[in-house]
Amino acid sequence: MTNDEKQHVKNEDVTAAKDAPEEKAVSEEKAGPEEKAVPEEKAGAQEKTESGEKAESQEKDASKEKEVAKEKDKAEEKAEKDAVEGEKKAKKAPAAKASDEAGKTEAEASDPPKVAKKSGDGDDAAKEAAREKAQAARAARAKAAAARKKADEEDDKPKPPSPNQPKLDRIVEMIRRRVAEDAIEEAYINEADRHLPCVVIRPSHWLQVAQLLRDEEELKLDYLRNIAGVDHETHMEVVYHFMSFKTRDEYCFKVRTDRDQPSVPSVTSIWNTANWNEREIYDLFGIDFPGHPDLRRIMLPDDWVGHPLRKDYEPYDPEV
Amino acid sequence: MTTRTEELLLNVGPQHPSTHGVFRLVVKLDGEVIKEATPVMGYLHRGTEKLAEDLTYTQIIPYTDRMDYLSAMTNNYVFCHAVETLMGIEIPERAEYLRVIVMELNRIASHLVWWGTYLLDIGAMSPFLYAFRDREKIIDLLNELSGARLTYFYMRVGGVKWDAPEGWIQKVKNFISYMKEKVDEYDDLVTGNEIFMARVKGVGTYDAETAINYGLSGPNLRCTGVEWDLRKTKPYSIYDRFEFDVPTQTAGDCYARYLVRIEEIRQSLRILEQATEQFPDGGEIMGKVPRAIRPPEGEVYVSVESPRGELGCYLISKGKPQPYRVKFRRPSFVNLQLLPKLLVGETLSNLIAILGAVDIVVGEVDG
Amino acid sequence: MKGLVKGLGVTFKNLTRKKVTYRYPDVPLKMPDRFRGIQHFIPEKCIVCNQCARICPTQCITLTGKPNPDPEKRVKVIDTFDINFEICILCDLCTEVCPTEAIVMTNNFELAAYSRDDLFKDKDWLVANNTNVRSENSLNKRAKGAN
Repeated sequence: MTNDEKQHVKNEDVTAAKDAPEEKAVSEEKAGPEEKAVPEEKAGAQEKTESGEKAESQEKDASKEKEVAKEKDKAEEKAEKDAVEGEKKAKKAPAAKASDEAGKTEAEASDPPKVAKKSGDGDDAAKEAAREKAQAARAARAKAAAARKKADEEDDKPKPPSPNQPKLDRIVEMIRRRVAEDAIEEAYINEADRHLPCVVIRPSHWLQVAQLLRDEEELKLDYLRNIAGVDHETHMEVVYHFMSFKTRDEYCFKVRTDRDQPSVPSVTSIWNTANWNEREIYDLFGIDFPGHPDLRRIMLPDDWVGHPLRKDYEPYDPEV
Repeated sequence: MTTRTEELLLNVGPQHPSTHGVFRLVVKLDGEVIKEATPVMGYLHRGTEKLAEDLTYTQIIPYTDRMDYLSAMTNNYVFCHAVETLMGIEIPERAEYLRVIVMELNRIASHLVWWGTYLLDIGAMSPFLYAFRDREKIIDLLNELSGARLTYFYMRVGGVKWDAPEGWIQKVKNFISYMKEKVDEYDDLVTGNEIFMARVKGVGTYDAETAINYGLSGPNLRCTGVEWDLRKTKPYSIYDRFEFDVPTQTAGDCYARYLVRIEEIRQSLRILEQATEQFPDGGEIMGKVPRAIRPPEGEVYVSVESPRGELGCYLISKGKPQPYRVKFRRPSFVNLQLLPKLLVGETLSNLIAILGAVDIVVGEVDG
Repeated sequence: MKGLVKGLGVTFKNLTRKKVTYRYPDVPLKMPDRFRGIQHFIPEKCIVCNQCARICPTQCITLTGKPNPDPEKRVKVIDTFDINFEICILCDLCTEVCPTEAIVMTNNFELAAYSRDDLFKDKDWLVANNTNVRSENSLNKRAKGAN
């Protein structure tokens, strides 16, 4: 059999598989232990499909539940605030309303039997209580919430200010004062990434800011660890991760640019690391870096068409 | 009478043993002296970052094996570490120890390959055989643990795939005492050798400022006197539990890089010694991981110390089973940037010595 | 001069040591049990759930099912099962997700062939590849509580 023929056979197989959709189990990509424990003889494709769907819906419910929990927490917060204010009469109405709402959404969430079982007695108690008194509901639900999701703990109480907030404020203030008032588009703390301070700079001011970052005695961000291009579909972004050998502080800077004519000033003259990294980003994203000494493709051949890491990339030659 | 001279354009590679893979250097020569060197790369570009956008998190891990194929464990780790950081997954103690043990074993194996091939590059045949003899022992250990000799695919998000088989930790302990002896033997064999010294001492020198500006990391940075090792300065995993030194040299030449790497083997053995000693008796090897790995929306940049330097992973998740964007900060790629500048004014024979001392893995350079 | 003599000392010491090389093609290499070699396929166990085909990072597995010959049973049985070893990276994920251990790893690893067509292995070939089957698979590993 030649290669072509085999390819043909393969294609036929694929279409055959498509023709019989019921045999394609819709389970999650990793079967859990319960699914695996199904005895081989009984475990038909049908059953598999079912369990798979269940797993998927469960998944969805889990995320839904999370949202509900958040909502609930909000409601709780509100109720608690009211409680602090005193005034029992004034309090009772909104609190009860809030808890009723929460109860309703909760009832929705606990529709599938499995989920309800999982979330346990706390939920049921909460549901009942919600109909009675706001006070009792709060206690029961607090218990339920605490028992259910430890991961959601952060949502329970207002977040404490990030330990890096002063650093962020300091650097924002410095850039505003030394470069331009409108140089910063956005500044925030990336909590998922160990409270990394992130600053989004406008491309027109990026070069000045970069110069400041490296030369300012207080910052001395002399080590450019990583540059990454990102295609956000609405805009392009170049992400810089800096570190200072002097203070050991880490910062993240982002420069957003237009998607049709992406262009970000090159910082190769300030950090030589940027040289090849910018070439790579130009190669894979098509972002122009004015001021770069040698902006050529680096990974792909010079005559390659398109920039592969863009989300709208279509291979020029799909055979390759 | 005047002699007519002419510049010669020479291609080193892409198929040349001393480029350690498919990597090309176009050098402009005036006699024997390099006037200009232009690296050409991308022959091994497989688009890992692009492929990753269509794969689930578990499916990406075997691809990371193939970037830096001499230390697949650190590659596995950096990706899993990024996902775990984003998802806030706790890793069981036993899994952490197993991870550290395999990463350090892998670091030694990687340095051994470098040691052997570097000396082969500059004309010494037998060190290569010594290094590969001992590296084989590490590969056997990792093979027994993970089921592969090079592309281990040992780590999973939340832990590791296999527990240590019976007696494996003892085998690692035996290897440590064996290897300690061997490192001293390497020192005797090569380090003081006059021919070797003549080839590497004072060759390819740069200072700390240049190194930092070019973003060098790992032994390439430590050879200039900067004490910078992520295991020590920004400890990840459980590296803060171990006592070890960060070897540095101040000369900044190829010889300094050589000494740093040899010393690093010794320090890795020290870590291994403590890790096998503290290795917990029982326990889980997988943390609590949801069945479908879907990190919450967000982004994270983590970095670990690979044998070649700072290996980073920048991960953006949009809450889907596939990542939105994965970018690997590949130390070989960044370290190589200084090369064209280093080579100008050197002789062609020094090119090999300088390129070899950078310690590149082309799979990683090209991504 | 001192360095050279020292180095030679090491060389001479090694002359008397035992050989460490393998006589590989003549004497087959024995791989550890966990070694990820070529897959072995057991059609009787397969429930055509397609999980292996979907988890495969390189999409090298293609399979089709057919209705059960026994009309009593609704379970499908496997019809064709192919692995393309041109692109298979032997990552072990298919054996890891298989709920019935219909696909398992063996320690056999010699895949080299003169033609690419030879690397396209069908069901019969994978069924016949039944030596050195790995004893420790995902399923029994989980049962033991190691996971």
